[in-house]
Amino acid sequence: MNFKEILELIDKVSELGIAELEIEQAGTRIRIQGQTHHAPAIHAWSGDLPRETPFPQLPSPTPATLTAKAEGEEESEAGLHIITSPIVGTFYRSANPESDPFVAVGDHIAPGKVLCIIEAMKLMNEIESDIDGEIAKVYPQNGQPVEYGEKLFAVRT
Amino acid sequence: MISKVLIANRGEIALRVILACKEMGLKTVAVHSEADRDSLHVRYADEDVCIGPAPSRQSYLSISSIIAAAEITGADAIHPGYGFLAENSHFAEIAGECQLTFIGPSPESIRLMGDKAKARETAKKAGVPILPGSEGPTRTHAEALEVSRSIGFPVILKAAAGGGGRGMRICANEADLASAFETARSEAERAFGSADVYVEKYLERPRHIEIQVFGDTQGRIVALGERECSIQRRHQKLIEESPSPVITQELRKQMGEAAVKLCESVHYMNAGTIEFLFQDGQFYFMEMNTRIQVEHAVTEEVTALDLVKEQIRVASGLPLSVPHGDFHLRGHAMEFRINAEDPVTFAPNPGKIREFHVPGGPGVRVDTAAYRDYVIPPHYDSLIAKLVVRGKNREETLARGRRALDLFIIEGVKTSIPLHRAILDEPRFIRGDFSTRFMEEFEW
Repeated sequence: MNFKEILELIDKVSELGIAELEIEQAGTRIRIQGQTHHAPAIHAWSGDLPRETPFPQLPSPTPATLTAKAEGEEESEAGLHIITSPIVGTFYRSANPESDPFVAVGDHIAPGKVLCIIEAMKLMNEIESDIDGEIAKVYPQNGQPVEYGEKLFAVRT
Repeated sequence: MISKVLIANRGEIALRVILACKEMGLKTVAVHSEADRDSLHVRYADEDVCIGPAPSRQSYLSISSIIAAAEITGADAIHPGYGFLAENSHFAEIAGECQLTFIGPSPESIRLMGDKAKARETAKKAGVPILPGSEGPTRTHAEALEVSRSIGFPVILKAAAGGGGRGMRICANEADLASAFETARSEAERAFGSADVYVEKYLERPRHIEIQVFGDTQGRIVALGERECSIQRRHQKLIEESPSPVITQELRKQMGEAAVKLCESVHYMNAGTIEFLFQDGQFYFMEMNTRIQVEHAVTEEVTALDLVKEQIRVASGLPLSVPHGDFHLRGHAMEFRINAEDPVTFAPNPGKIREFHVPGGPGVRVDTAAYRDYVIPPHYDSLIAKLVVRGKNREETLARGRRALDLFIIEGVKTSIPLHRAILDEPRFIRGDFSTRFMEEFEW
């Protein structure tokens, strides 16, 4: 395999988002690791926090897509009120798996309305709205871990 | 076995733990406040979780947030570092209840040795020399006066739950005691939530000498020599070294045996430090710190051990890797705490580091989480780097200290570097002739 072919392989690996590829050919073994291998679990879902990494990594289209999306979000968030997570924990949209979500996009909410539950240390913490308005966006997926300060809801006021 | 360690701390010690984990092939989780997003410990950890706003009470001291961060990242162990929750028995207990390995001593040991009066009683029972003083807290002025008369002035009043020099009052005579007693009690109440104070004989020119101890789950406890920590201001250590210029191999053995005896009496596990006051050839138990110390690197440099890796080993149930047999310190090591503060007034000086050049060369080690353009947040302590130098003897160590300090460039904030440099030219310091009063008398 020549140098050019190796470069093409690297491009392919990052383009398709392959985690790891190993090829053995005529006594030469090549292992290519994609970006996903080092991607930390927390940051897998907090794409809006740019993270510098000390490890040299292969270029991957994934972060670019995320950044673009984050920028798009910034624009559509103009004029919206953002409700962020007051604690670290796991985000739940409903009181239990069988029941309906507390709120959905388009719902009208008032201060004190329970929006979601964040579970931390086996305690279910109800997160209430601090504002009057209409739910424009729900950021985390149900069951997803969230950090302190992470965006939960966008509210159109 | 431990596979993923959450570090419940920040700054250089968080980074120090990450380095140890990396060498051991363990995954790391950094937790951070909003003010520490750009910190190196966040950058170098495998995962990171923002646990709260800048004030420590809502982030680095928030037990529930830290445990929740461990839960969502699947960490199976917690290293508390020093400060913050490191000596909080409740935190160690909750970690245990949540099936997280606490990399440190048991909650019982932390509780017992963290209370100064109880620790003193324990030391006395174990036959470790203690300063004459009250048996437990003195609740009335009359009681304190009676004890002071029997042991003789000067005496010192100390908060039973205290540390870091707060809640202490020196009384030269009965009049001093009368005016200081209630102040010390209310200060103790405010700072530590308990008004209990006890009375102890006050030594006028003692040295602060501490013994590094380590215990494992097999019941083996070792003493790893002393650290001389007499160079302090306001009870905050500035320079530490090992060996001490005044401790002979015979004294080292005696102090080590006393420290081990005390630890054995409480079945101590993991890293700890027994602090002694030393004057006129006699040593007296002062207190125990149930955590890794800021100055642990000094011991690492003269023992060729990695104390943080040792902590993780021991917490996993593995035996200490310290060789059996006679114990000797090799060479000499000295640590300078580089704080972001005015070297004259000691006022903290947070801000942006515009230039940051770390010295190198033989025998120089720098533990730091700072870098060029890093902004030192105003919310936490002012330690920005630990410069540790090592040489074959004290003389070579001092020479290395001077040249390393000369080449340590930090611009943008004031630091303690010029102060350290001046101390290294002070004849009494060079001779090794000093006590904990050194900084009160030092002029430059």
